[in-house]
Amino acid sequence: MINQDVDVAVIGSGPAGLAAAVSAKQHGTGRVVILDRNSWLGGILPQCIHDGFGVEETGESMTGPEYAEKYIAMAEQQNIEVMNETMVLQFDRKREIIAVNKKGIYKIKAKSIVLAMGCREKTRWSAMIPGDRPSGIFTAGVAQAFINLYNLMPGKNVVILGSGDVGLIMARRLKFEGANVLGVVEILPYASGLPRNVVQCLDDYDIPLFLNHTVTSIEGRNRLEQITIAQVDKNMNPVLGTEKQIKCDTLLLSLGLIPENELSKNADIEIDEITGGPVVDQNLETTLKGVFACGNCLQVYDIVDMLALDAKRAGKNAAKLTTTKKRKTGIQFVPGAGVRYVVPQKVTEGGTTQLTLRAEKPGEVSTLRVIVNDKELFKKKLPWVNPANMIKVDVDIPSEVIKSGQSLEVTIND
Amino acid sequence: MTEEKEITCIVCPIGCKILVKTDGKHIKNLDGNKCKRGIDYAEHEALDPRRMLTTSVFVDGGEWPLVSVKSTKPVPKEKIFNVLKEIRKTKVNAPVKSGQRILNNVANTDINIVATKIVKKL
Amino acid sequence: MKNFHVAIIGGGVIGSSIAWELSKYKLDVVVFEKGSDVASETSKANSGVIHSGINSPPSSLKARYCVEGNKILQSLANELGFPLQWVGKYVIAKNEEETKELERLKKVGIDNGVPGLEIKNGTEVTEPNVSCFAALWVPTAGIVSPYKFTMALAENAAENNVKFLLEAKVTNLKKQKDGFIIKTSKGDFQSPLIVNAAGLNCREIVSMVEEPDFQVYPCRGEYLVLDKKHSSLLNSMIYPVPPKELGVLGIHITPTIEGNILLGPSAEFIDNAENKKTTREMMKNLLNEAKEIIPAIPDKAVINAYSGIRCKLASPEDGGWADYRIEESKQTSGLISLLGIESPGLTGAPAIAKEVARMISQSIELKSKDNFKFARTKRKRFSEMSAKEQSDLIKKDERWGRIVCRCEQITEREVIDALSNPLGAKTLSSVKYRCRAGMGRCQGGFCTQHIVRIMEEQFNMDVKNIKLRSPDSNLFYGRTREVRDD
Repeated sequence: MINQDVDVAVIGSGPAGLAAAVSAKQHGTGRVVILDRNSWLGGILPQCIHDGFGVEETGESMTGPEYAEKYIAMAEQQNIEVMNETMVLQFDRKREIIAVNKKGIYKIKAKSIVLAMGCREKTRWSAMIPGDRPSGIFTAGVAQAFINLYNLMPGKNVVILGSGDVGLIMARRLKFEGANVLGVVEILPYASGLPRNVVQCLDDYDIPLFLNHTVTSIEGRNRLEQITIAQVDKNMNPVLGTEKQIKCDTLLLSLGLIPENELSKNADIEIDEITGGPVVDQNLETTLKGVFACGNCLQVYDIVDMLALDAKRAGKNAAKLTTTKKRKTGIQFVPGAGVRYVVPQKVTEGGTTQLTLRAEKPGEVSTLRVIVNDKELFKKKLPWVNPANMIKVDVDIPSEVIKSGQSLEVTIND
Repeated sequence: MTEEKEITCIVCPIGCKILVKTDGKHIKNLDGNKCKRGIDYAEHEALDPRRMLTTSVFVDGGEWPLVSVKSTKPVPKEKIFNVLKEIRKTKVNAPVKSGQRILNNVANTDINIVATKIVKKL
Repeated sequence: MKNFHVAIIGGGVIGSSIAWELSKYKLDVVVFEKGSDVASETSKANSGVIHSGINSPPSSLKARYCVEGNKILQSLANELGFPLQWVGKYVIAKNEEETKELERLKKVGIDNGVPGLEIKNGTEVTEPNVSCFAALWVPTAGIVSPYKFTMALAENAAENNVKFLLEAKVTNLKKQKDGFIIKTSKGDFQSPLIVNAAGLNCREIVSMVEEPDFQVYPCRGEYLVLDKKHSSLLNSMIYPVPPKELGVLGIHITPTIEGNILLGPSAEFIDNAENKKTTREMMKNLLNEAKEIIPAIPDKAVINAYSGIRCKLASPEDGGWADYRIEESKQTSGLISLLGIESPGLTGAPAIAKEVARMISQSIELKSKDNFKFARTKRKRFSEMSAKEQSDLIKKDERWGRIVCRCEQITEREVIDALSNPLGAKTLSSVKYRCRAGMGRCQGGFCTQHIVRIMEEQFNMDVKNIKLRSPDSNLFYGRTREVRDD
């Protein structure tokens, strides 16, 4: 066992891990170590070769690899230690991390830990798609890695299920590489990805988008040969008689992302059922003292800019050990009408709190409210809402409200 | 001759459907936008649509078999596949620096293709 | 043309058991398997249950081989190093009426010589998530991983010089006076003895040399696999009282060796034995029926679904139940066929193999090998080792320190070992079934790319030949970019 003592240990070197580590170092902490299971830094950024990264953060539009390299350069400059090809096997409430790499097994004692493990893609079975089990069914992100990193072509005639951003971007990417993209199938009445991607990835290349549709069967004994799609009713059940067969050799799944929190769960960190990420307070500290969470393992972000900004806060708080001395329970944020979830889930101190949240469904002019005990604490008019676009607001919460112990309801109404 | 195009505005997520009438060179009429920002976008889209182009280039002897690349300026939409065709034929030798120029004046567009990633020599 | 003493058609659990049994003797034995690995059909897609012998009528072959196989399995597991757990099973009665059926099963079991059977009332059942009126406790029922069991048999047989030809589909058999000419997709071979262990294709094989006197009625069974995190829902297997029709055992809930829970199988007679589709209706049904037994099963627990096809010799109109047929053809001497080997075939396989060896001994003298190689003791999984054991291995070979599959914590070295199997099976599935890489909750999302890289770099495989499971299940169409020097 190789023993190490560090100030801040960051698990994951994607955009969140890099931003958190750089920020921790900038805020004066001593030894910062990033642990990552891949042989490179940047997580999935190197495979996201399209541009549009960093516009809100820096004003400049970068590609994924460029965005990663910006942070990697900063990390190098600040002498942040990196352990690549290193898998964290577990950590505990004493903040002792057990990790493994080709040199051996490590026990790393950290003053604070930043969780930045990212997320994983939902599989065919999370959507319970019946049929055969041929080859040619890939999650969109895996196909993206094959095409953009490993120089492997996973398909020629492709259908994409799910209109999340990865799915849309892969539609264009496959088209660029000479594949026939036969359509994108979306179970909801609207695209789940950003409108810009619908226009620039589908409309530009006349790729059809089948809204209110899903894949009802998969056929192919060896390689995929055909899928069946059908319209769905209001309860998302396929409507009999609307089935349509599409001959294809490849089905890409862009069904959504699940925060990766096996490590957090094993350490008994409380997980929010809706976000799939740890329950955090205004400092992004989890229910385990000295353990902070950021990035897609906290909640699935839609753009990296917002993710990085939050990750920097997590890094800073980890550096300053901004742990509440006595663990106060604080008060809860409760998602009310029109709101799917709110992060942070609780607040322990009065002052300005940064809230990120998602709406239930798309809408035009709406009002966001924070309500405590039937009284309106905060109100903001929104020109439009869309679940694909995370909403971010700063809310002042007086100390008396925290003392009252009442929970804060967040609502979005027309 | 008047041409009509429906353009989905992408400036913000409302996604206004803007109906644009042009004579091929100038805007004659524009309808459906909820804000001023939509005008600029719809004009460009109707008269001279362009897109940033990102793809990858084969690398010989590198730690990765590919290097990601981008166009230095947005490429006219109708030229995208011409540009891609030239990029497909291209090969670079490792090491590749981020920002390194891979192709000059690709497909006579007056646009260059540059690497967006570092690929070290193996 | 290569000549063998015995040619076995089919690398399922039956063919592999026979191959292993015969590998003890001085014989040249070949196994033709049309799939890319052994256990690639029904032997892979079943409940993985070691049955006790309470379900088949006394004096049937099914009962006889089941009870005999059940007794042999523990020593076989010790010898070959595949995992087996005697978790026991409860057959549960929902009401007093069904309790009569428990009595009947108990009596059948006693007649078959099954020990330890006990009828318990609902409160005595040691499964907190199951409520029932009464239950029959069957202590001699157990679980194995059906593919690991089959692979262990086949791999040790291969180590003892049985030739396994994968992706070798038998296309024709011709009987000549001194034996058979066997035409396969991997060339032609000769042998005086054919063992037809082709499972669902047993009739097709027979019809190559004679008019079969039987039909095969394929009966599909669908399963759902639950995430390992729900493994604490039960300890033993839970079976309903078997339905009266179809000759099946009903949808049951089974813990697996790997910690997942299986729900199923359904029973549906189908026209095409290759129709292994899962269906929306049945997936819903399975979940609903399982929830009637264990209401605590969450809807979102499913991480995989598959189906297997039973090889039945009786039509649904005839009740779906028929006994096994294990016999040498009267018309075509030298053709030994194993027909209708459905459940409890996994349990009966070792006993069936001994019977086939006995049949073979009537035409060829079986002399024991003096250099039989015992199976190498299986190493623990990396994730099951102590930190000290892990460190020591990493010092010897750094590939032990590189985790390839994050969900199951499988190392590069374990993947390489799986790819180096003595059968030469090299699909993603053959890796998955040997070392679990890709079997966790992300279902290969992270590790597939790393396994592909290992296949390419360390096994020099052409990317176009990298397959998911079966001979034509390629993953890639080539390179994204291929720039040739002109």
